[in-house]
Amino acid sequence: MLKTLLIGLKDVRLAFRDRAALILMLAAPFVLTLGLGLVTGRFSGNTNSGLSDIPVIIVNLDNDQLGDALVEVFNSQDLADLMEPTPSRFADPEAARRLIDEDEAAAAVIIPAGFTRSVIPQQADFTNPETFAAEPVKIEVYANPSRPTGAGIIKAIVDEFISRVEEGRVSGATSILQLMFSGRITPEQAEAAGTAMGERLQENTPDGALAITVNSSTADGEAVKFDALAYIAPGMALMFLMYTVSYGGRSILAERAQGTLPRLLVSPTSSAQILGGKIFGIFLTGGAQMLILISASSLFFQLKWGDPLGVIVLVLAAVFGATGWGMIITALARTPSQVASIGTAIMLIFGILGGSFINLEQMPPFVQTMSKITPNAWALNGFTTLGLGGTLADLSTPIMALLGMGALLFAVSVMMFGKKNLVQK
Amino acid sequence: MKKLFAIAWKDAVVRFASSSELLFFIILPIVFTFLLAGGSPSANGDNRIRLVVVDQANTAISQKIIVELDKSTAVRPEVLMLEEAESQFDSRRASVVLILPASLDLQAIQDGTAQVDFRQQPNNLNATVAERAVQTAIRRVSSTINAANMAVKEAEANGTFESEADRQAYFADALKLAQSMQADEPERVIVIEGSTPDRVDYDPRANASAGQLVTWVFIPLFGISALFAYERQQGTLRRILTTPTSKATYLLGTIAGQVVMAFVQMTLLVLFGIFVMRLGWGRDPFALFVLLTAAALAAGAIGTTMGTFIKTEGQAGGLSIMAGMVMALMGGCWYPLELFPSTVQNIVKVLPTTWAMQGLLDIVLRGQGLVAILPEAGVLLGFAAVFFAIGVLRFKYE
Repeated sequence: MLKTLLIGLKDVRLAFRDRAALILMLAAPFVLTLGLGLVTGRFSGNTNSGLSDIPVIIVNLDNDQLGDALVEVFNSQDLADLMEPTPSRFADPEAARRLIDEDEAAAAVIIPAGFTRSVIPQQADFTNPETFAAEPVKIEVYANPSRPTGAGIIKAIVDEFISRVEEGRVSGATSILQLMFSGRITPEQAEAAGTAMGERLQENTPDGALAITVNSSTADGEAVKFDALAYIAPGMALMFLMYTVSYGGRSILAERAQGTLPRLLVSPTSSAQILGGKIFGIFLTGGAQMLILISASSLFFQLKWGDPLGVIVLVLAAVFGATGWGMIITALARTPSQVASIGTAIMLIFGILGGSFINLEQMPPFVQTMSKITPNAWALNGFTTLGLGGTLADLSTPIMALLGMGALLFAVSVMMFGKKNLVQK
Repeated sequence: MKKLFAIAWKDAVVRFASSSELLFFIILPIVFTFLLAGGSPSANGDNRIRLVVVDQANTAISQKIIVELDKSTAVRPEVLMLEEAESQFDSRRASVVLILPASLDLQAIQDGTAQVDFRQQPNNLNATVAERAVQTAIRRVSSTINAANMAVKEAEANGTFESEADRQAYFADALKLAQSMQADEPERVIVIEGSTPDRVDYDPRANASAGQLVTWVFIPLFGISALFAYERQQGTLRRILTTPTSKATYLLGTIAGQVVMAFVQMTLLVLFGIFVMRLGWGRDPFALFVLLTAAALAAGAIGTTMGTFIKTEGQAGGLSIMAGMVMALMGGCWYPLELFPSTVQNIVKVLPTTWAMQGLLDIVLRGQGLVAILPEAGVLLGFAAVFFAIGVLRFKYE
């Protein structure tokens, strides 16, 4: 056991003394995380999420019951964080449209004059053929195509308002017409019945009540704002972890080529102790690399990785899974330089398949399926859960997957080592 | 000339001694181009907020609600099984979950007992938006039943029904009337798309093809530094001193050889773009040739300068990969430059990858020709001149 430990520690020391290796183990992931933080606006506070304080311009030319109600909706307390309506009262639709064309807001909501009267006609309108047959007055949502999410949300808010208006209109009209058709009231009594019904409903029915009750519940805990860097930093660290494990595997072949492995084998040290020590060294180096990167990003970027126990267990599981891949690469290669080439290639392929470059959710389904073979995807899934406020208890799936992957790859690589007589006396 | 060719050929033999070099020369660039072209966020993508829906009812009503949700401009319903939805909600991958329970049917709505569950994460603005979209969808589906129920109540306020059957018949007539009124409901909202100029000039396939070309060609050209370090470590540079070969001949042979190899690699990637990805690389071949030459010379020059600072082959290899990846990222080769904060967009103009990428996008994305890419080619040639000058001045055999 002591010999295994000593061999492992010796490899860790060698890895951290190798300046060339340190470039890809520590400098590259750190610099790339820094670069990604800059380009995503993480360091300038400009994350382009577009989902708060969406600027909207409201032009109310109606100045009547429904127009005013829609303006109130956009200025309501419910939407205070989501919407940022124009503070002053706009009266010029052309000016509003121009502001959208100049990308000053996500959309302009233009409520034309006569909107309320078009929905709720007055008695005089029924007798005037011009107004009775007129086209309904439409609210215009002048949308900014370069802010599709914000414009879509504004349209959805207008739609919800209109659905309430329409429900009221259809309900009222159905009730009165049905009373008339069934002979319960005469056409002359319709207006009075409608007025009485309106008054009664205003007293008894809560505003906007639905026929289906929506039981809304909010999860326990604090609100969590996901930090983009909590995805970027582990993504980069995990990609270059694959370099580290192949570097460790390369040292087995390098020691054989340099003659230090045969020397070890003539000493009273068993093959299992040597192989165990080498694997332990790779595991320790990978773990140290991950913990250094985590500490550095916490220190320099104020990145919160989440539940510390969860982070440590996930790092160990990720390094175990990645070390399994390092062993397989070593078992497949014949020379140290082959391990370096294949290791770098696998590092990059696993990087893109595992979501280090682009969020896996944006990838085609077959890539998402293929990503399951990479330790990167499972570990990144776990780190994202932690970044979203999860704890060790929420990490059972990625941890089990990583441990299973590592165990399977170790078993296969040990069989392959045996066939190649790689570490045999 | 013969010496130049001999040096270049020797470098090609050294580089391709292992067949694994083909991985980096052509296989990985194609794999990355293909994956990024399919996986990059598209301007035409669905930007709506994801709303996880669990349909336990599987009734006409529940399906109508889902159809109405899908019409929303704010949310994108994604139907999942309860277990998966709860797992995503618990791990905070889903900001909202709408559960349509088994009891949700027409009778329940008529009786006023219909309910749905809406779960949301704390203080989540996505949830605020989704809740409104859910209310709209429910209102669209249930408003006619609501109207018929109200008509029955109004009738009861004006007198009683003779029997329960009479009441049901009244409800059915009112429902039919409400449905016909809803069907004739006029459009009350019109959406007009503004003529805001799109800030992001983007096509995932064109961007991936150009971006990966720059990335995978710049890294090996920066790797010229590793060639110098390797020869210096092996002592072969000193041996050249004993032959009648000038420094200029050696440098020119090494750099020209790598630039020619880069050109072969770029040609293969452009052909992949034309024939497999159907991209318009071939609109102005001369402009493309000028830009690719300028880009390769700039990268080769930087590699030469790096080679005069770096001592070992291992360090040169690592630094080439790191510098290539960082410059590619910051130069807009992985993500569109237009999405970067404006300050960063200005800072990255100091990188050759930014100019190479913009020039390539002028050709493949914007369909422009030689005149349009001359500024980018000029800047790249400027990089080449400056870094070759530094590299040649600093170059030493030992």
